Amino acid sequence: MLLVPCPHCGPRNASDLSYKGESHARPDPNSATAEEWRSYLYMEDNPAGWLRETWYCRSGCRRFFVLERDTATNEFRNPPVPGAKLGGKA
Amino acid sequence: MVDPNSVNPVFESPITSTNSGSAGTSIGTSADQAALTLADESSLTKTLIRAEPRTKAERQLDVVFGASRLVDGVVISGQRPSEWLVIGEANDVSTFVDRIDREGHVSLVDHTHSRAMMRLTGLDASRVLEKVCSLDWSSEMTPNGAVVSASVAKVGCDIVRNDTFRHGSALASSAPTEVIPPSYWIACDRSFAQYLFDAILDAGQEFGLLPA
Repeated sequence: MLLVPCPHCGPRNASDLSYKGESHARPDPNSATAEEWRSYLYMEDNPAGWLRETWYCRSGCRRFFVLERDTATNEFRNPPVPGAKLGGKA
Repeated sequence: MVDPNSVNPVFESPITSTNSGSAGTSIGTSADQAALTLADESSLTKTLIRAEPRTKAERQLDVVFGASRLVDGVVISGQRPSEWLVIGEANDVSTFVDRIDREGHVSLVDHTHSRAMMRLTGLDASRVLEKVCSLDWSSEMTPNGAVVSASVAKVGCDIVRNDTFRHGSALASSAPTEVIPPSYWIACDRSFAQYLFDAILDAGQEFGLLPA
């Protein structure tokens, strides 16, 4: 069982949350090119190691939050801050 | 034409138990003395309040996420950050909600008819919940007054542990040694209510759980 550290609810079974993918900085809609939008929407780094990702606490607080997970070991680090702004790679 | 103000409010519960008639009215007596019961309390008035931080409404509610308190016959439960569910009898909730300050980003929505609510009571209530929910239901983690949201039998539920409050009044132990059994309000979407009621009854069968 994967325990995900929700900043509001504490450690929760991963089945109580939804994985929303890698957390990337959103391009500026006024200046972004089509290629930048494609990259933001569809391309993922998918590293074997630390990754900054977005989760949604579906069964608990119903909040989105960002945290870092080692995709090779499923270890989490840097307890997320509630209400932290999304975006930016690790 | 019917004047809507002249018609009494009608409530129809989504739950019909084997021990109940329509609208959750108990017609049996087998559960009266049972140590572990599941009661349909969907008819309690439930008002959801959302208020941004630092509003007057937030200060009036004065309940943090994950906790609850009894005020003037209603239970205020901190369901989610900046979100509270006020539960009680219709008149009590109405009186309480009328006093909430609406200044700033504040919304109030009546969930009485969209959310079903059942009460699981008994010394083995936490053991029943442990079978259908992955949270820790020990008294250390979820003491009286605790509020959590979680998946119960795969249904998203809001749960309030409320051992000492029944229908507008606080319970008091008649003897110092008497133990008040744990009691949980479990609220879910109306459309899942019958399934959830039956699923909890199934889970509690081995502990002697009966519908009340």
